[in-house]
Amino acid sequence: MKARVGILTFPGSNSEEETFRACLAAGIDAQILHWSTSLETVRRYDAYILPGGFAYEDRVRAGAIAAHDRLMEAVVDAADRGRLILGICNGAQILLEAGLVPGLATPRRVEASFAPNRQRSFLCRRVYVRLANEPSRCAITAALPPDAVLPMWAAHGEGRLAAPPTVLERLLDGRHVVFRYAHADGSFTEAPNGSALDAAALTNVAGTILAIMPHAEREEASVLASPGVSPLFAAFAAALASPGGAS
Amino acid sequence: MTLVDEDRFAVLGLEDGEVAAAARERGIALTVAELREIAERLGRDPSVVELYAFDAQWSEHCSYKSSRALLRRLPTTGPDVLLGPAEDAGILRLGTWQGQTWGIVVAHESHNHPSQIVPFEGAATGIGGIVRDVLCMGATVIAVADPLRFGRITGEESDGQHARLVASRVVEGIGAYGNAIGVPNIAGDIAFHAGFAENCLVNVVALGLVRADQVIHSAAPPGSVGWDILLVGKATDRSGFGGAAFSSLVLETEDEASRRGAVQVPDPFLKNVIMRASYRVFEELRREGITAGFKDLGAGGILGCTAEIVSSGGYGAEIDLDAVRLAQPDLPPAVVAVGETQERLTWVLPPEMTPRVLAIYNEEFGLPEIAHQAGASIIGRVTAEPTYVLRAAGREVARLPLALLCGDVRRERRATPAPTSASTPDAPRDADLARLPDILAHRDVCSRRSVIERYDGVVRGTTVLPAGYGDAGVIRPLPDAPFGVALSVDGNPRYGVIDPRRAARLAVCEAARNVAAVGARPVGLTDCLNFGNPERPDHYGELVAAIEGLAEAAEGLALPFVSGNVSLYNEARDGRPVPASAIVAAIGVVDDVTRVVGRQCRSVGSSLYLIGERQSALGGSIYADVTGCAASALPDEAIATVAAEIAFVHRRIAAGDVTAAHDISDGGLLTAAAEMTFAFCAPGTIGVRLELGAWSSGVGTAGALFGETGGFVVELAPDREAAFLAEAERCHVAVVRIGETTAEPELRVGDRAFTVESLFAAWDAPLNEALAA
Repeated sequence: MKARVGILTFPGSNSEEETFRACLAAGIDAQILHWSTSLETVRRYDAYILPGGFAYEDRVRAGAIAAHDRLMEAVVDAADRGRLILGICNGAQILLEAGLVPGLATPRRVEASFAPNRQRSFLCRRVYVRLANEPSRCAITAALPPDAVLPMWAAHGEGRLAAPPTVLERLLDGRHVVFRYAHADGSFTEAPNGSALDAAALTNVAGTILAIMPHAEREEASVLASPGVSPLFAAFAAALASPGGAS
Repeated sequence: MTLVDEDRFAVLGLEDGEVAAAARERGIALTVAELREIAERLGRDPSVVELYAFDAQWSEHCSYKSSRALLRRLPTTGPDVLLGPAEDAGILRLGTWQGQTWGIVVAHESHNHPSQIVPFEGAATGIGGIVRDVLCMGATVIAVADPLRFGRITGEESDGQHARLVASRVVEGIGAYGNAIGVPNIAGDIAFHAGFAENCLVNVVALGLVRADQVIHSAAPPGSVGWDILLVGKATDRSGFGGAAFSSLVLETEDEASRRGAVQVPDPFLKNVIMRASYRVFEELRREGITAGFKDLGAGGILGCTAEIVSSGGYGAEIDLDAVRLAQPDLPPAVVAVGETQERLTWVLPPEMTPRVLAIYNEEFGLPEIAHQAGASIIGRVTAEPTYVLRAAGREVARLPLALLCGDVRRERRATPAPTSASTPDAPRDADLARLPDILAHRDVCSRRSVIERYDGVVRGTTVLPAGYGDAGVIRPLPDAPFGVALSVDGNPRYGVIDPRRAARLAVCEAARNVAAVGARPVGLTDCLNFGNPERPDHYGELVAAIEGLAEAAEGLALPFVSGNVSLYNEARDGRPVPASAIVAAIGVVDDVTRVVGRQCRSVGSSLYLIGERQSALGGSIYADVTGCAASALPDEAIATVAAEIAFVHRRIAAGDVTAAHDISDGGLLTAAAEMTFAFCAPGTIGVRLELGAWSSGVGTAGALFGETGGFVVELAPDREAAFLAEAERCHVAVVRIGETTAEPELRVGDRAFTVESLFAAWDAPLNEALAA
């Protein structure tokens, strides 16, 4: 049976609809889950996307309150069972605040965060990202060609990866950085927000969770983009369909 | 029940001086004559609550008492108008998709005075207010844009640290609010002028999407007597008391601290949830086929909004202030009644729908858990008599005939003639090409990247052409439909100082040209008129002249105004008004968004054409400012020619002839050509070579290359040149080949060459540095 993906919203989410459309375009069976949905219903999904926005007004730190929302129980349980989880922008921040990514410690705790940009202001800029490791390091990117350069929109005030040096070392050793910022020609570049390791996206130990700051779901309409399905969502669709992807 | 006696504001039987002193003490902006008129027409002294109600409703901000008669001059009808200027926003036709007609809701507001005092909150609540104006039409909010005017903050000329602070905090406030509610900021403009150092202008345009048969009106519907009046949103607090009257006073420094209480406190997080909850309510109403009334609370607070919504339906209301959700106890009735706490809306609903709507706001979307005491509650009902009755703590605190409170208030103002442009060009003929980098670095030309990047321009995933990449922002509001909406805002304060009428004409032309330059057919306009003190004939004369200019151009281009706003009393301490600022937004429709073009040239070896004859006029130009040459004549544009050029350009883009286009405005043709080599955030790799010829020698190279007479530069698709030329001839539009694109990344004109990289560096740096400082 086709995997069903829940796009889980919180008060303050603002990117759920374009995320839904990107799923639809990629052939992913997705549904937007309002925050008033019962935990029992949220648990019925095979995989989850946490969309962008400002959940709970980003009080304390971006993603910090949402990480402890009652509905996150469903996401944490799914993560423990190896289900695929994609967090975009605010969703990525929530995954770090929930301790799901990078997920080095037991029990789970916050090990790294997406902190305020180096320039201390919101940054909305067209960026390119390129895989930092082999595509299969993260199940969600496994179907991408190794040299793929993906255009996306950075649109965040807090997207600078920050962590103690020992954690950053372990992120490198464990190949947790999935995407790094790049030029259009694919050469790696300094992160526009000062992100440590020039990281745009991280995964967990098992490679089942992707926490990515730039938005791959905002490409569909732009004249700057090439037409067609977002490559990242296409890869996500492939991962969901692959054996073990959604089980 | 009669009105209680103890809390009256005494007018009858008192001397003018006594009335004026009492009004001043209470911070009332009404004149003694107005207070006398109110008391005489009521046949008694007004209660204190009534006093504040009139202060808001009869303020310039709410009543347009100085401008209403003038605004009748503007054209407001046409085949693309679904709803003209009558409610919170107007509606233009977008197109038909799957058998349904869709409309674009258009609203334009200003938040000038608050933004000068508390720039972050002032600018943020500006977005908050305009978004509610669009929402209450039953629309999905799809885009915003901010025209901004500040004191000078770049380069050697500077209006000081405060001007810089105002500019950077305004930009932050716009970003913080718009980003959080998830509405893309797709256009906007910024101009800097010493005349804005004490009065910044923060205007805001918002667009919405609504199906033509699903518009909700800001009126109690026919047959709604006995219906519930609901208040939705943030708990009412002390903030924003006296906001409407405040915006109709001249700012005086000593007053600034005491006026801070008049500025509202924004809550974009709550608004995000209110918007989504309201979309759910729209769905429910449509399913049930119910016509309801919905209106935003702005100036005049609960009293102003509920009075207007029932008055528009020809009804009255009984409102119980004790039912209002309060953020703090013991607020005076006048504060609860007319305070302008943000993030609130009013519904007029049939009682059988009320429980469902309350449940959506209070339970499904849980407003009371989102913000302290926020939520929806019933605060009154619609009555048959056109009387407005307000009760608090069991007492009647206001009883007003709505014909008096919401009636047509007008003030005759005297006008003296506004300044006019010199009629004969008086500028030098030969261009000093070496000044091009200085022109690109000029505060009114340099890149707006550092501002644009602070706004989320792509949230909702519908942005086709983001701000900065073309002359107008373009979105695709219905993701499955091929059509798009283009938006541009314009207005040149340097022209406004020289000739308010011509400046207004040129603003209409430029806004229309900008949407055409991305491939959109202009369909309508909205304006925000920012002027000085209407009680001063010289200031008022500028407003009169500007409206005349708007009307001339809009009629000539057959474009209706569907909404607008007037902001007066933008006057400095020395009595000078802000530069006359008729700021115009044009809305365009694109039939096929895949044809939309940006500004940057796309391929090497393609032809560049000029559309729009050059003139020698340099008045108000960047070139005149940079070189210090004397020039006072503004470009003189024949509107019929402008209309033909605009139609030609958007049709040629739609036909696929054009691969890049840019209008000619600030900095002239050479600046436009330079900008066509930029990739917005980086220098591009394709260069431009211009060949001087008859098009430039006739008027002199200064006017030809740096004159700001409107026009277009377009890059043609290689195989479309013949078709383009044939169409130009058929349409009687003069086009001239002025050069081509090159593989060398440089801008070459005659024997002079600049690297694209050096020009980009000059253009990109100034505002970035000023805002970072």
